[in-house]
Amino acid sequence: MSDFDGEAEFIESVARELRAPVVLTPALDERVMSDVRGAPYGASDGAPRRRFWLVRPVTLRVSPLGGLLAAAGIAAVAVLGTMAAGGGGDGGATAAVAATPAPAIRELPTVAPVANATGPQQVSFVFLAPEASNVSLVGEFNDWDAAATPLARVDARGVWTVTLPLRPGRYLYMFVVDGTEWAPDPAAPVAPDDGFGVPNSVVTVGGRST
Amino acid sequence: MTLRSRCLMLAAALGLSLALAPAAAAQDPRLEARVDGRTRAQLAPILDSARRAGLPLEPLIDKALEGDSKGAPRQRIVAAVRALAGTLGVARDALGRGASEPEIVAAADAIEAGIPPRQVEVLRHLLLSRPITVPLAVLADLVARGVPPDTAAYAVLNLARVQAADAQFVGLRIDVERDIGSGIAPATAIAVRSEASVRDVETRRAESRSAVPGQETPPTP
Amino acid sequence: MDMSDPALIGRVLEGDVQAYGVLVARYRDRYARYATHMLGNREDAEEVLQDAFVRAYRSLARCADRERFGAWLFRILANRCRTAGGRRGRHERIVVHDDAALVAAAEGPVAERSAWREEIQRALARLDPDQREAFLMKHVEELSYEEMAEITGVGISALKMRVKRACDRMREMLQEVYSV
Repeated sequence: MSDFDGEAEFIESVARELRAPVVLTPALDERVMSDVRGAPYGASDGAPRRRFWLVRPVTLRVSPLGGLLAAAGIAAVAVLGTMAAGGGGDGGATAAVAATPAPAIRELPTVAPVANATGPQQVSFVFLAPEASNVSLVGEFNDWDAAATPLARVDARGVWTVTLPLRPGRYLYMFVVDGTEWAPDPAAPVAPDDGFGVPNSVVTVGGRST
Repeated sequence: MTLRSRCLMLAAALGLSLALAPAAAAQDPRLEARVDGRTRAQLAPILDSARRAGLPLEPLIDKALEGDSKGAPRQRIVAAVRALAGTLGVARDALGRGASEPEIVAAADAIEAGIPPRQVEVLRHLLLSRPITVPLAVLADLVARGVPPDTAAYAVLNLARVQAADAQFVGLRIDVERDIGSGIAPATAIAVRSEASVRDVETRRAESRSAVPGQETPPTP
Repeated sequence: MDMSDPALIGRVLEGDVQAYGVLVARYRDRYARYATHMLGNREDAEEVLQDAFVRAYRSLARCADRERFGAWLFRILANRCRTAGGRRGRHERIVVHDDAALVAAAEGPVAERSAWREEIQRALARLDPDQREAFLMKHVEELSYEEMAEITGVGISALKMRVKRACDRMREMLQEVYSV
């Protein structure tokens, strides 16, 4: 394999290998069509690619960390579920809601072996806002799109929550209340200045042990 | 040279090369959909320069989207993106050639959190043969939890000196977060846990050495 | 008879969503190869391809030249590959094993051929993304420099330089492996 007369011939031999067909799963067609049916052309151009983004939030700020999210929550708490690595569906969340203003510490089962900690995990975000008429979650996992991830009000006291799958990593986020008021998560660590005068909260999503 | 002046120099270099680059990187559909044309025009040269410099673009695009979403004025968005490009450049310089993009981003996070680039450089040299994304992310997380940057750096570098595994860095963070959650001051928590973590790494290594005769251990500088 | 791209696009824009399925089937495999080589693994390639198809659908009304839908779609895909590739570090890149294609194309001993293909993919993954992109477009997708310039927004002379550097590096890396 080492005797190549000229560069052109050599490159052609390499390219020939790479021109071999790559066949992807036929399920891809159905996934595209399913997305397409739910999103008429034109109308949602530029809208958040919610399914694509949330199921595989491949962001540069991903770091393969196993770990814990400690959230001493009075107003809010983010809880990591333990969905199996590689899963991506909507089920399986083990969300917990800080319905009472008691400090809480939640953690993942164990420190994950880093190389295996790549699958998405269900992460719940909870925010207490009794007066709000809507709350949404914005961050690096949804292109900071205030329309992408609304929280649902779960009780009369104003507890708002949403659960979404996130890959292991470190994400900046905030809540937007009534479309105008940006609020950090009071239970989460704060990232340094964001450049816009509104410091973000940080959530670190860890993997699970195998 | 201070971090600020290095950032400014890089930002100036990025700014000066405006005219040369086509706006390929600014054609990101998310920017096209969300950010107005004038802002995009000002971002284009920054993104293209960053791309040519081999810096990761996603955090820069993300920063622009964040600014837009937060209703920041154009100049502020451009300034924030330019500053981040500068920090990514500083991070890459500290890590040296061959740094992976996750490492560059994690180092930039740590530097933004207040960790001096020199400490990132030291960390890189202590753990030469493996990615240091995890220790860097732990650094940034510790500072975000309220641990003073110099103390956090000291603790993480001590663990790196004994060639701790990634899981052991994460373990330190977990312990510190747990302590802080139960009311212990961050500086106290890190002081106690750092020492215990180093001891733990050394104990485990000694145990595994005696359990598996002849097994090589990583060199301790 | 197969409907042309412009005819299918016309159908989609009139509300026939299923017509888009024909376009997806038409371009899926053709572009799967590029995405897979660009990103280094099939899983990411599938997601980027899915994303590109959905984006193209949403912007279909803006596809000015329907005869050239394929090129327009490729531009979206190349853009997505660039963004997605940037999110992952070089160290995390995985070499693709395409067993089906391997068996189909096997001429020599399978093991040797497999090793050779693996080396090629490893070398490809080690190229700078810009060089990889240029190399794949020129030599694997066999696009002209004019087409490449249109897709990437990069000048022809710069593209030629990238292709040349990519070829030099590929040669260097692969001959290093097989000259011993």
